[in-house]
This record gives sequence, structure tokens and C-alpha cells, in this order.
Amino acid sequence: MTAQRLYSAILSTAGLLVPSCSRAGWSAEWLSELWYVSADGNWWRTIHFCAGAFADALWMRRNRPPGEGDCANVVRTPARCLLLLATTAGLALLFFLRPYGPAAPLFAGGGQRFAPVLSHLVPFGIGLLLALALTPLSIGDIPAGRSSPAHARRFRRWIFLCLKFVLVGMLIFCGTFDLAPLLSASHLQPHAALVGYILGFRWVWNDQRRRCPVCLRILTKSASIGELSHNFLEWCGTELFCPAGHGLMHIPQVAGSHTAHRWVDLDRSWKVLFS
Amino acid sequence: MAANLSHTAAMILQVIHCGCIYGYSVMEATGLPSGTVYPALRRLEQEGLIRSHWERQSVADAGQRPPRKYYKLTASGKETLEASRKRYPLLAGLAESMEKEKA
Repeated sequence: MTAQRLYSAILSTAGLLVPSCSRAGWSAEWLSELWYVSADGNWWRTIHFCAGAFADALWMRRNRPPGEGDCANVVRTPARCLLLLATTAGLALLFFLRPYGPAAPLFAGGGQRFAPVLSHLVPFGIGLLLALALTPLSIGDIPAGRSSPAHARRFRRWIFLCLKFVLVGMLIFCGTFDLAPLLSASHLQPHAALVGYILGFRWVWNDQRRRCPVCLRILTKSASIGELSHNFLEWCGTELFCPAGHGLMHIPQVAGSHTAHRWVDLDRSWKVLFS
Repeated sequence: MAANLSHTAAMILQVIHCGCIYGYSVMEATGLPSGTVYPALRRLEQEGLIRSHWERQSVADAGQRPPRKYYKLTASGKETLEASRKRYPLLAGLAESMEKEKA
């Protein structure tokens, strides 16, 4: 590999951290500067320069404009979200079931054959409890609306939530078993699984809360309403719209027992704004 | 704004004011690594203290090199730099040494 290819590979790797909407401009600037830095012929200095791209890329990711989150775009619709989770979990499961892999004891027989699965029960349970303790459980005040009957709407939401829990759980279970030997850190596998379950289950719940209860798409077009200093005079918080125009979600800025997320259905007369 | 400006950011504003108008020249003038300079440039641009523009392709083609992204202080950036000079007196020394190098 020539030095120039190595520099480009470092920048390309760092570029993966940059939000896709800004990646082209970011890469153009770094590749342009690289041309001038590498003209010196000092490869160590150039490598050091390229390594700085990771800090810049992380800054770009942390400071991306609101609403341009790559992750939110990828999982915007429920079908895409489930497809992505199913693909990732499926790949992790296939790797887990490979010959002589972590699943080999399951097929070998003997009294200890379920030891790997049982060893995950404790992290799974603690992870679930901690995730639920660290995450507000209220999905919001979602009244029965005109768009669909309440029970059908609730059933679809719960099915989607359960599928996400199962797929994320499978992904973390298989993923930690797959990655631990590769990183030579088998002793850290239960800890990684615990952290993975907490983060994964938190994401599942938070993702559910920011979706339209009718079509399960991620809510967009956030608008801040009111000011916190006028809390006694008027409502303050954020309004999010369903991209398909099913309604809007009111999220109070200050969480309280009397201020849950509130969903407001929009009737057909609003459809023209979203077409 | 100036009260919140770090020494690093003030130093970058100072060297841009002295004529280091692209990222690599800012790195060379300040001695700061690329991982500090480029995020700082973006933050300063986001705060409206500097603005950037790409060199025209025809100019770069004439020099047989890729176009560069240039940075320039805004009016707000100049005001902030003035205020920062009072807060960080060593910035004036940096400006003087750069002018001597140019001469």
C-alpha cells in the first residue's frame, strides 16, 4: 500500500463518522489539505495530520444540524427499522452459530451445554431492569382517534415494540459472544453484555416514544413552543409532526406527573399540508 | 462571546487575522494539531466569528493543485479578537512575531 493510499484510507475511515449530509464537503477539505501536507514528504507528520481527522469527524457528528441524524433517517419507517435490526441480528446469529464458534457447546451435549445461555440471564435481567429504571416508561397520552381504532393501534405498537426488544436482545446476545473472542476479551463479555442490554433496551423504548402512534414513522419537524420562564403562564415544550400528517406530539419541556407527552390527531382537512 | 472564547480559539482568530487563511497554515502558525484546529475552525464559523469560502476551481487548476478552503474574520470576529487581546495579552506577542517572520 502506498503512503498516499494509507492517508486516504485513514481519512475515509474517519469520514464514516461524519453525517452523510456533510461528508462530501468534509472529505473535500481534508483531501485538499492532505495534498499540501503530504507535499513535504514527511510521512510521520502526514499520519499525525490524518489522525486529527477523527477528532474533527467526531465534532461534526456531535454538532450535526437537528433533524439530520443518519440513524433517524435509516430507521425512519417501521419496516426499515425492523429490516435493519433483523439483518444485523441475523448476521450476528449466523456468526454465532458458525462451526467451532461460541455456540459449539450447545450442540456438543453434556450438562454444561446451556451454560453460555444461562450466563446471559443475569446481565439480561439486570440490563432490562436498569434500562427501565433509567428511562421514563410513559409513552404518552394517546387517545383513540379517527385514524384507526384504539385497540388496533395499540396492538400494532406493542407488536412493533416487542419485535424490537427481541431483535435487539438477540443482536446483543450473539454480538457479545461473537466479538469477545475476536477482541481477546472473553473475561469482559458479561460486562459488555450488561452495558449492551442497558443501552439497547433504552434505545428501543426511546425510539418507540418518538414515533407516530398511527403509522409508527419517526416524528419530525420539531418546533419549540413557549419559554421555560413563562411556565406558569403558558405551556412550553416541543411539538413534533408525523411526516404522513396523522397528528402531532406535544412534549413538555418540564416533565411532571400532570404533563405527559400528548398526542393530537389531525383530521383529513390537514392532509393537504403534508401531501 | 469574548468571555467564553478559549485561548486556543483566540489564538486561531489572531493567526487568521494575521493572514493564515487556511487550515494547514493555522496549524503551522499556532503549532496546534489538526484534531484541534479543524474542529475549532468549524466552531468559530458556527458562532459567526469567521466565514469560509472555497477557492475557485480555475485558480487552483492554474496552479496545478486542489482548491483550498479559505477562512476570513467577520466583523463580529474582529470585535471578539479585540476583546480577547485584552484578556490574553500574549496574543499581541504572537501577532508581532508573525509580522517579523513575514518581514
